[in-house]
Amino acid sequence: MGGVISYFKGFFGQKEIRILILGLDGAGKTTVLYRMQVGEVVTTIPTIGFNVETVTYKNNLKFQCWDLGGQASIRPYWRCYYANTDAIIYVVDSADQERMGISKQELVNMLDEDELRSAIVVVLCNKQDLPAALSVSEIHKALGLDALKNRTFQIFKVSALKGDGLDQVMEWLSNAIQATK
Amino acid sequence: MSDAKYFTTTKKGEIFELKSELNSDKKEKRREAVKKVIASMTVGKDVSALFPDVINCMQTDNLELKKLVYLYLINYAKTQPDLAILAVNTFVKDCDDPNPLIRALAVRTMGCIRVDKITEYLCDPLRKCLKDEDPYVRKTAAVCVAKLYDINPTLAEDQGFLDALKDLLSDSNPMVVANAVAALGEINETSPHPIIDMNTVMVNKLLTALNECTEWGQVFILDCVANYSPTDEREAQGICERVSPRLAHANAAVVLSAVKVLMKLMEMLPSDSDFVVALSKKLAPPLVTLLSAEPEIQYVALRNINLIVQKKPDILQHEMKVFFVKYNDPIYVKLEKLDIMIRLASPANIAQVLAELKEYATEVDIDFVRKAVRAIGRCAIKVEQSAERCVSTLLDLIQTKVNYVVQEAIVVIKDIFRKYPNKYESIISTLCENLDTLDEPDAKASMIWIIGEYAERIENANELLESFLEGFADENTQVQLQLLTGIVKLFLKRPTDTQELVQKVLTLATQESDNPDLRDRGYIYWRLLSTDPVIAKQVVLAEKPLISEETDCLEPTLLDELCCHIGTLASVYHKPPTAFIEGRTAVTRKSLPARVPSLNGGSPSFDASTPGQRQQTVIPNQDSLIGDLLSLDFGSPSGPQSSYAMGSMPPPMTTAGQDLLGADLDSLIGGGSSDLSGHSAGGSGGYGGGGYGGGGGLADLVGFGGSSSGGPSLAAGNTGLLGDIFGIAPVSAYSVPKQVWLNPGQGKGLEVQGSFSRKNRQVTMELTLTNRALQGMSDFDVRLNKNSFGLTPASPLNVRSPLPPNQSTEASLPLNITADIAKQNPLTNLQVALKNNIGVHYFACLIPMHVLFVEDGLMEKGVFLATWKDISSDNEKQFDIHTSLTDADAISNKLQANNIFTVTKLATDGRQLMYLSVKMTIGIWILCELKLNAIASGHTLALKSRVPDIYLGIVEAFQGILLA
Repeated sequence: MGGVISYFKGFFGQKEIRILILGLDGAGKTTVLYRMQVGEVVTTIPTIGFNVETVTYKNNLKFQCWDLGGQASIRPYWRCYYANTDAIIYVVDSADQERMGISKQELVNMLDEDELRSAIVVVLCNKQDLPAALSVSEIHKALGLDALKNRTFQIFKVSALKGDGLDQVMEWLSNAIQATK
Repeated sequence: MSDAKYFTTTKKGEIFELKSELNSDKKEKRREAVKKVIASMTVGKDVSALFPDVINCMQTDNLELKKLVYLYLINYAKTQPDLAILAVNTFVKDCDDPNPLIRALAVRTMGCIRVDKITEYLCDPLRKCLKDEDPYVRKTAAVCVAKLYDINPTLAEDQGFLDALKDLLSDSNPMVVANAVAALGEINETSPHPIIDMNTVMVNKLLTALNECTEWGQVFILDCVANYSPTDEREAQGICERVSPRLAHANAAVVLSAVKVLMKLMEMLPSDSDFVVALSKKLAPPLVTLLSAEPEIQYVALRNINLIVQKKPDILQHEMKVFFVKYNDPIYVKLEKLDIMIRLASPANIAQVLAELKEYATEVDIDFVRKAVRAIGRCAIKVEQSAERCVSTLLDLIQTKVNYVVQEAIVVIKDIFRKYPNKYESIISTLCENLDTLDEPDAKASMIWIIGEYAERIENANELLESFLEGFADENTQVQLQLLTGIVKLFLKRPTDTQELVQKVLTLATQESDNPDLRDRGYIYWRLLSTDPVIAKQVVLAEKPLISEETDCLEPTLLDELCCHIGTLASVYHKPPTAFIEGRTAVTRKSLPARVPSLNGGSPSFDASTPGQRQQTVIPNQDSLIGDLLSLDFGSPSGPQSSYAMGSMPPPMTTAGQDLLGADLDSLIGGGSSDLSGHSAGGSGGYGGGGYGGGGGLADLVGFGGSSSGGPSLAAGNTGLLGDIFGIAPVSAYSVPKQVWLNPGQGKGLEVQGSFSRKNRQVTMELTLTNRALQGMSDFDVRLNKNSFGLTPASPLNVRSPLPPNQSTEASLPLNITADIAKQNPLTNLQVALKNNIGVHYFACLIPMHVLFVEDGLMEKGVFLATWKDISSDNEKQFDIHTSLTDADAISNKLQANNIFTVTKLATDGRQLMYLSVKMTIGIWILCELKLNAIASGHTLALKSRVPDIYLGIVEAFQGILLA
């Protein structure tokens, strides 16, 4: 039965799913976005502002992905984008141990927001191709994700540069979103 | 619940609805929402709260939506400077868009967002766009550089945008070149240092682009070319040839810009060359064509033509007819055309012009009629042949008895009387018939002037003036002043029956009036009359210099500057841009290029005297009190005077104007008086003791002319002039005004002004020491270097010591002639060392030779004759002396006061010959023969002496004495 409904939903053009891609500057958000959209690595410059792209998954799921600049000066404006968000992709630079604390703080602050109470959270441990990269469990701990309660949540290790792990992310994300509908 | 609820953010209302629509996931709905937002914005509702939501719609493929969001951004970026940063990434992306329209749109919008915070992020995309493959993007980027420069000049310069812009001048696309030129021009005007360094190559590129670009692009290029000064005549000619086809353009702005370039370049070319003559002919038709456009364009064209006609009257001299007023012209066009008609009036077309003007004078529009009447008067002054016809036309107009026509006519008739004295007095009776209808101050003042001037021919002049006097207190100042002067003139001409009247007016002016100008003039007349009526007569009834039709012309330097701004607002305002553009720090003044030196005919000395000569023919302004003060103009013999002043006083501080005023007035006052030296001493006391002491500025009055030296006397206005009148008149011996010998910069705060005079048979150095430093000065002493005349201080310098800061003191240092003699070059050079507690200061000055003439310089006739024969005729030199004095006695007295003695006088074939002798301190005798010229003001002086070296100094002394 569920399959039939989802079939019709897709047929009539489903509502776009709103996803925010957040994280500190240099974490690789823009690269992740374009890796998901066009499957290629594009040369990026620091995003002063935002990118928005529509990513189609398996021809029936449309993600409207907002990639917001991660520089300290722009972070305060993330909140302008929180409303109606279905999922957050939080990108972490696995090799950037120094700023893990700041990253955690930003994540915690964000998840405290009322508007994001029901949003799904995906943490991407990016740059796993680098030798200095922390492991998933280490990052899990460093970000204090144990404390996350009442939240659909998953952590992945990916390399946007190589394209590793992003398919699983999309897979999980589409399932998780459909489950909440 | 408290009232606070009213202030919590609403979840309802228009803004909220728009917000949710903007965040809708349907593209269609978002676009509609943005349209609604823009609509609200345009009607003035504040939709700035939606800033982030609108920005979020920015990344779209839909060009229409993008444009709307950009429009919103331009409007609100300033109110939300922090959030504006969110738009940066989109701009960056759009500047990479495959669609050139989007790239250009992005770069243009970026330039319009004047938010400092995001400017630096825009540099990279801008740089990319300046090198874009699409010309439209490049041209937009070029303009954007100018905008960026306006926001942040240093950033624009540091990032190399100016160089990139200059590179665009060589772009293959003319539109890009034009916009780059426009941008550079804009930047150039605000930049503290010149940005564009024009050269031949660049101008050639611009001229190549000129033919292909749009009309407005052509305007920019032409304006830029106008700023370029070609290196030689041939280049100028080449540019002219390439620019002149633009004269045929349909766009008035292009035509005017082309005219501007040509006007400027023609300055560089010899004005009589065939090329210039041909070019001048080419200029006329396009200008005439401009007059067939709409009235507004006509007006702009006329204002520009007004400048062109003043600069180059010959261009339009045959086009008079197009400036004839049409009945349906708007008034502003009519008035402007009238002005140009007068400027173009010449003997060749005057008949036509007069017929037109007469027609205009019967129109209904009062302003226009007045101007037409005035125009008739100006024609009379300008074109002598037509004067008679003009006067009769004016008389006809007066017969109409239309009040404002009559009044205007009287004003211009006054000027005609000035220009053609003793020619049209027969019409005075007609004028007098209209006395009662006069109610405007201008007309009244003119009428009174006429009555006063011709009092001896108007039988009832006293009654007429008396009738004006009744309402004296209520009259306008101008009328009061004229009335005062008029009645004094009347009194001097008919003293018998008008004594009472003059008493009355002097009392009214001096005692009943609060107006200082009126009081001062009253006092001057009063004193003049009570001192010596003969002198008073000479002063008040002095012959007035002729006037010419030049009043309404712009001052030449201003005219030149405005010619460089033809086709801009400045040329419509007739004001330099600096006068009405605010906030521009570095507006450089433009000026026409100087003619190539080889073509310049005038010698330097001629140039130096031109400013003085310019003054003499201008009609005095009605309210310029100084001009009317003694019914004389300053300038009559001014040319030679000013050159004398400049020639004889090497330090450049000399204000020629002062000498001019002082000297001229003095020559008038002292000119005819046979007992000048006799009355001078007593007179001086009398003036000094007069009731003037109280007046602040009048303190100057009783000082000697020399003491007020160095000040810009013309600017000093009334009091400065008065100072000179009273200052110089009573002094018997001529003295050169004090000069600045040592300025405080060189004297470590000590300023020295000084002059020389002869007192008690001794040469005396008059010094004014001023302490401009912060501390007191003391221990003054002075030494003179060896000099040509053996001058040395006879006593120590006796000055107030210490001299407190910002105070000055006068010192008079008698000099002996006992020191060693060492010839100096120039002969009159004197090196002075002045010591004070700060140090020793050295400076040099020139000794005017007349102070060296000794008192026993009168040679016996016989000795004179023998000596004259004895000295070789090789030593005889002739010089021209310029003075207004023609009376031998007056000259003799004047010279004698300065120890130049008249040995004898002769009269041969109508010419007066004076033989004079002078003895100098160093024992040199100079024999002089002065040939007087009865008519012209130049006399011939022949000098004979055994030491011809001193002639120059002697001639200077003669010149100085006779002019003073």
